[in-house]
Amino acid sequence: MRAGFAAVLLAALLYAGFRPVGPVPPLGPLLDPANGMWSTAASANLPPMDRASIPGLTKAVEVLVDDRGVPHIFASTEEDAYRALGFVVARDRLFQMEAQTRAASGRLTEWAGARALESDRENRALGLVWGAERKFASYDTASMGYRAMAAYADGVNAWIVRMRPRDVPVEYRLLDARPMKWQPIYSLYFFSRMALTLGFNDASLRRLRAQALVGRAAADALYPVNSPIQEPIQPTGRSTPRFDFATIPPPGRPDNGALAAVAAAERLQIALGGSRLTETEDAVGSNNWAVSPRRTAGGYALLAGDPHLDLSLPSVWYEMHLVVPGRVDVAGVGFPGVPGVVIGFNRNVAWTFTNTGSDVNDYYAETVDDAARPTRYRVDGQWRQLDDRVETYRDAKGAVLHTDTLYFTHRGPMRREGGSWLSMRWTAYDRSREPDNFLRLGYARTAQEWLNWMTDYVAPTQNGLVADRNGNIAIRSSGRFPIRPGNGRGDVIRDGSQSASDWTGALAIGQYPFSMNPTQGFLASANQQPVDPALNSAYMGSDWYSPWRAMRINTLLRADSAVTPDAMRAYQTDPGSARADAFVPLFLAAAESEMKAGRGDATLNKAATLLREWDRRYVRANRRAVLFEAAMSDLGRRTWDELRTQPQSEGAERVALPQSQILVELAQTPENPWWDDRRTAEREGRDQIFAASLRAAFDTVTAARGKEATDKWLWSNIRHANIHHLLRIAGFSALGIPVQGGPNTLSPSSGSGTQGSTWRMVVELGPEVRAWGVYPGGQSGAPASPRYRDRLSKWANGQLDPILFPRTAQSLDRKRIVSTLRLSPR
Amino acid sequence: MRGVVKFLLLSEAFAVATFGLGWWSVPLIAALWGAFALPPGGRARFAALCAATGWASLLLLDAARGPLSEVAAQIAGVMRVPSFALYVLTLVFPAMLAWSAASLSPRLRKPAV
Repeated sequence: MRAGFAAVLLAALLYAGFRPVGPVPPLGPLLDPANGMWSTAASANLPPMDRASIPGLTKAVEVLVDDRGVPHIFASTEEDAYRALGFVVARDRLFQMEAQTRAASGRLTEWAGARALESDRENRALGLVWGAERKFASYDTASMGYRAMAAYADGVNAWIVRMRPRDVPVEYRLLDARPMKWQPIYSLYFFSRMALTLGFNDASLRRLRAQALVGRAAADALYPVNSPIQEPIQPTGRSTPRFDFATIPPPGRPDNGALAAVAAAERLQIALGGSRLTETEDAVGSNNWAVSPRRTAGGYALLAGDPHLDLSLPSVWYEMHLVVPGRVDVAGVGFPGVPGVVIGFNRNVAWTFTNTGSDVNDYYAETVDDAARPTRYRVDGQWRQLDDRVETYRDAKGAVLHTDTLYFTHRGPMRREGGSWLSMRWTAYDRSREPDNFLRLGYARTAQEWLNWMTDYVAPTQNGLVADRNGNIAIRSSGRFPIRPGNGRGDVIRDGSQSASDWTGALAIGQYPFSMNPTQGFLASANQQPVDPALNSAYMGSDWYSPWRAMRINTLLRADSAVTPDAMRAYQTDPGSARADAFVPLFLAAAESEMKAGRGDATLNKAATLLREWDRRYVRANRRAVLFEAAMSDLGRRTWDELRTQPQSEGAERVALPQSQILVELAQTPENPWWDDRRTAEREGRDQIFAASLRAAFDTVTAARGKEATDKWLWSNIRHANIHHLLRIAGFSALGIPVQGGPNTLSPSSGSGTQGSTWRMVVELGPEVRAWGVYPGGQSGAPASPRYRDRLSKWANGQLDPILFPRTAQSLDRKRIVSTLRLSPR
Repeated sequence: MRGVVKFLLLSEAFAVATFGLGWWSVPLIAALWGAFALPPGGRARFAALCAATGWASLLLLDAARGPLSEVAAQIAGVMRVPSFALYVLTLVFPAMLAWSAASLSPRLRKPAV
């Protein structure tokens, strides 16, 4: 009896020890205190002194890690520096590097099995792997970019080989996986992924959806190519925005042709990894600005960088300092998995980026020889051979889960959707050298040199801002801006059977939005339309972010003629809102108008009183922003009810609502038919709708949160940053962090809280460059490490750390060094 | 005194074998112990106690080298169990392995003639 029980127990324990049971990984290697998850505690802290060797290293490299977890790498050659960088980034972020690579290359099934199949299929269908492989195959192997990627891979693999069991990141244990060998091409996968995140534009679909419901004229006005409020990146010489308001045509008849087109294109977009956009206000928004010495307190140029992306733990960025005497002395942040600094500074120049968001992808309706199994496609009456590629998806054991055949025209990947074949042309597929572009930035000695290094940059288009120690500031929207035939617009689906539909070239660099040392004494960008179309009418896109953040930055910079680094820091989390400045007066005027017309009541009066009390600042302690935001949400729904596919149903699917600046434009015509709420018998005008929204917002917020004096109205109880771990493991995440900022403020907060500032940096270009920075998270990717989230508190409070920038290993304050790593050739 | 020495040695054997070979060495050591140790009475319980003690000593070593409680809290969060349950599981797992292996192994020996 006892032996039988013991036998069963032993068998069960051995099974659970060796094999996963449901979601639980094998218990043996997990619980093992010498080699399992517990042992990761030992590698949570870096050793005070460590030595290792890396194949290919030409000379010894010293890596000093400071008390912020930043490695200062002192090497003799650039390749040695990138080998060392690969080693230390892998030591800190190996799991993140592999997770990003697998996501970008559609290989998550090898970890997660069939659960990840659809995601992987979408990623591969998007053609990013295909594009990265083409780029890599054509890469000049003598270029610094190629050599850096190869050297970086050497470093990563040296770490993987040298890893002790306790060094294996805990996530691998939970997934029951082992780290894979790093290949140089993985760095290109990451750039491809960034191109998807930052350079995939669906403006054409957004407008088509609206056109299907309200006709072309109205759709063009609601989703205009040019913003009706012009506060562009390239200064216009004006000290205020240019308001270019037009009368918005009334809702027209539904366009069935557009409906059919959008249905097919929507399916394609979803198949290609896109999503149906239904949000209106910008959930993310990067900012950058630079100030000329004559407008700074210290008399030196200042630069601020603030890229916003999806928030994650570990952070998307890794901070570093690379020193190769006579070649490179550069600090800042780069992406784990990619060699070098992307945003940062050297001894003479500082730089940063925001996303341009230009329209760089188009769809083409293709004619194929066989609708089921095409081998050729028709162009100008001639058949051309399709390229095909079989994609195989495997599970953790290598078993084939699925195969797909992908087709490619000369434009890009082609998919069958709704009975028709559509292909996509996208600059992300073009042969380009982004790693070289970013690596060379570190060489720049002046702003002009920096601009020169960016001339052949392709994708994703970026607003590159630079300042130098000579006091120069400059900005240029860089990347490939395609030139289309016809009206030049990229927001239509083109006929693929005509070569005349193809792009005819790209804008010359002289046409890029650009400014250097403008008379206004500062430059700023916030993803807004980069150039006023009155000055440059070249089509660059149509889905620009709203101008509110740009207006706010410019207001702050215009008002400050003695800017300090600390003021730059404070602006990054400034709680003011140009959007609130535009809309609060409209709500209050509407309430007053309705009162005078005898249509007011106690609720409207109370709501208006509360809104009037608000200083329009989204600080955590305010109790009025919640009312304003509820009113704005209601206003959008009430005004754009014609954009619902089922007008009488509150919950019916809608197209993405027009941006809020369109509401300001609409507000110029108080009796425009768009104001009418079709659900009521009465015909409403502007003031009635604004007043109704304010009243409804008060009712909604009061019902949900009680009286206005309660803490439930506090902004800190409403908007939070939610920073998820890459595997969305709650215990490894930082959730519910109260933050300052609201929709369209300089540090915008979204409802989900999953986007935000990923790196805040201020640099003063004085005799000695001084810099400050912070990102949400920490340098280590190990959740148990004290360096995993040690920067979160400062980030949430808008504070920055001074960045150490020693010229030599000897000049780094010994008290600030927590770990030394000596790397030697093998 | 002899019992204490025996206890320490076996616990150390479990710890060293786990460190050098892996968790699966626990049932191996226990089986050997169960098969050959004298006197036969209580061998399985003794092995279980020693295995748990061996792993506890390794846990103490981990705690001395890094933030063990932080690891426990986070993994417990992943598994949706309290932290202490993870510690308990880590001690019970080798104990049960050792007990079951030590209970079975005498039966694998050739019966004495």
